[in-house]
Amino acid sequence: MRVRVALAIALSVVAGVLVVDMSGRAPRTAGSDHVSALIFAAAIPGDGTLCQAMGALSADAARVQMVIGTYGRPVPPLVIRFEAENAELVARGLLTGAREGPVTIPLTHISAARPSTRACIHVNGNTKVVIGGEGVPVSAGAELVNGRQRPGRISLLYFRSGNESWWQLLPTLSTRFGLAKTPIFGDWTLPFVALMLLGVWMGTVRLLLRELS
Amino acid sequence: MSGVGRGLVASADITGRATGETSVAPSRLRRVWRTTRAAISQVPRAGCACFVIAFLNAAIWGIVVPPFQVPDEITHFGYAQYLAETGKLPPQGPVAQYSAQEQQTLGNLDFFSVIGHAQMHGILTNAEDKAFRAAQGTEPSPIGAGGTSSSTNQPPLYYALETIPYWLSPSSNILTRLALMRLLSALMAAGTVLAIFMFLRELLPRTPWCWTTGALVVAFQPTFNFIAAGVQGDNLLFLTSALTFLLLLRTYRRGLTPGRGVALGAVVAAGTLSKLTYISLVPGIALAVALLMLRAMPAGRRSAFKAAAVTVSVAIVPFLIYAALNMVVWHRGGPTAGGIAAATNSALPSGGTITMNETLDYTWELFLPKLWFMNHVYFLQYPLWHVWLDGSIGHFGWLDYSFPAWVYADGQDLVYVLAALALVGLVRLRTRIFSMFPIFFCFGVMAVGLFGAIGYAGIRYRLSTGFAFEQARYLFPLAVFYGLFVVLAARGVGRRWAPALGAVLVVLAMAHGLFAETLTISRYYG
Repeated sequence: MRVRVALAIALSVVAGVLVVDMSGRAPRTAGSDHVSALIFAAAIPGDGTLCQAMGALSADAARVQMVIGTYGRPVPPLVIRFEAENAELVARGLLTGAREGPVTIPLTHISAARPSTRACIHVNGNTKVVIGGEGVPVSAGAELVNGRQRPGRISLLYFRSGNESWWQLLPTLSTRFGLAKTPIFGDWTLPFVALMLLGVWMGTVRLLLRELS
Repeated sequence: MSGVGRGLVASADITGRATGETSVAPSRLRRVWRTTRAAISQVPRAGCACFVIAFLNAAIWGIVVPPFQVPDEITHFGYAQYLAETGKLPPQGPVAQYSAQEQQTLGNLDFFSVIGHAQMHGILTNAEDKAFRAAQGTEPSPIGAGGTSSSTNQPPLYYALETIPYWLSPSSNILTRLALMRLLSALMAAGTVLAIFMFLRELLPRTPWCWTTGALVVAFQPTFNFIAAGVQGDNLLFLTSALTFLLLLRTYRRGLTPGRGVALGAVVAAGTLSKLTYISLVPGIALAVALLMLRAMPAGRRSAFKAAAVTVSVAIVPFLIYAALNMVVWHRGGPTAGGIAAATNSALPSGGTITMNETLDYTWELFLPKLWFMNHVYFLQYPLWHVWLDGSIGHFGWLDYSFPAWVYADGQDLVYVLAALALVGLVRLRTRIFSMFPIFFCFGVMAVGLFGAIGYAGIRYRLSTGFAFEQARYLFPLAVFYGLFVVLAARGVGRRWAPALGAVLVVLAMAHGLFAETLTISRYYG
């Protein structure tokens, strides 16, 4: 009887904490350009433009985060554009009135007809801006500043719209869970794993009741 | 029949001795099979249930953790793939560590931008996945050059076993093979849990609830499962270590016989051929075998010597063969393929040498508070908490994400409470434990050997590279004592409430594992 009561209480507490944890709302990521902000990897002069090749912008990317430095000056207005291969505008964002450090720029999706293949940042005004990223050898994937190739790539982190709980993100998580793994896995894997885990827990509780009671 | 087959039959027929050997061998095999089956049938149902639970839980972890995100999985997979593809051990040397297939897969997965950067999640969109699959379709060669990596100087047993799922894979897709190979690691983790169950059964035969409790807390331990999730040689080290403790205790209780000597020797041989770290347990094991022999002497000196000799022979011969092959046939740079030499090299790149005093100070400070006469300060935070406890609670991935800080602070408080209860439990069990003091003394020597090996290799790595060496998983060869600690803590509250507390501690372990999984999902997919 004691074991039953102890198990019931302990499992209820765990279930409660799990519900609270899953219900916590926070910004959720929508991908990245796979570059970390380790150093200031790009310097854009006032009225300059940086462009770099990138993979397709996810349709659920509502904001982009960058690390910006201005050496203590106010961050000048910035425009970020995501363009398709034929220079067609896919999405754009405008940053105004920000302080240096990590900044988040809201994005407006213009066209979903073609995937974006490059991102361009234009600095308005006269202030020089440096952007966080990684140093890479000059190559086709490296950044172009005012048309000249530079040895770096800037870091772009994308976020979904607003704050979401894990419950709200579950369909997206199911999709992501099957990506970049063996082709046997797919959208079904996360629900399958959840059911398997539930089965393991039920089996364990049954075993505890049998062996410890 | 092939020519070779015909030749074998002919030679067996021509010489009576050969014919006799071929008839004896199957009967021996049958006897071994019968003994093994009998041993398996002795496992209680609860032990089988713990095994299945541990396997399924580790398999779940293997699906949750993305490919190659288990520490050092890239090098362990590279070793196994080289062995599977060529039938040879990696020759080592300054050539490519991985096959073109693995190297390309790591690049396509953006692996090197994900590890060490918690904000980087890898492939998150269908478009990226499509590009990944297209890039994978070029089918580069799975045969690498076997260049030096952090695991190529390790013995081959784990990797040889991993070639089985590698070749059983229905697809040559590297990620499908990896997924199947991970299942073998999960199986080894389940074996470890079963060995812990049997160890506790041997130690506390009258309290079956203790066996289940101790085994299940390990089965859900998230750091243990994170390693079990991947292709990682530590999994066989953990299994052979747990089996060693089990067999030593069993033999201590039941007496050393040639049969038990063969079993113990085989496990020690498997341990030394799984990872060189296991060698640090050998002095304690040797002491234990001497003790077992002494205990067996009153029943017959000759049979005691014979059983001890069988144990030692079965334990040593396979490793000696491996060492000889390394030197004579494979030319892998010494008897342990450079493994011992790399871990014990005292010369620093700056030109200095690490002294024995420094090594002793370092090893002491790694586990115990620094004493007044110790000059060197190696750690800014006390490693007992920061490395061993916090690491056991969970530093995941390539040590790039962890729980919020309060979890570790509360975990420390919980350990104080459990340690106090375990002390009470130990006092309550004093008669039982002290009757086994000699074998527990040997276990202590084995543990000290492991601590010493970690400290010895740790100071050399830290002073040579500037990076920390120690990780909580290095203590997991002692996982049986993790299970025992929790059982003692549960027993600390007295006979009436002990099973209830045991049940709560198992649920706590399950919750620990569950929230580590949700943390892992948020790290890589959220």
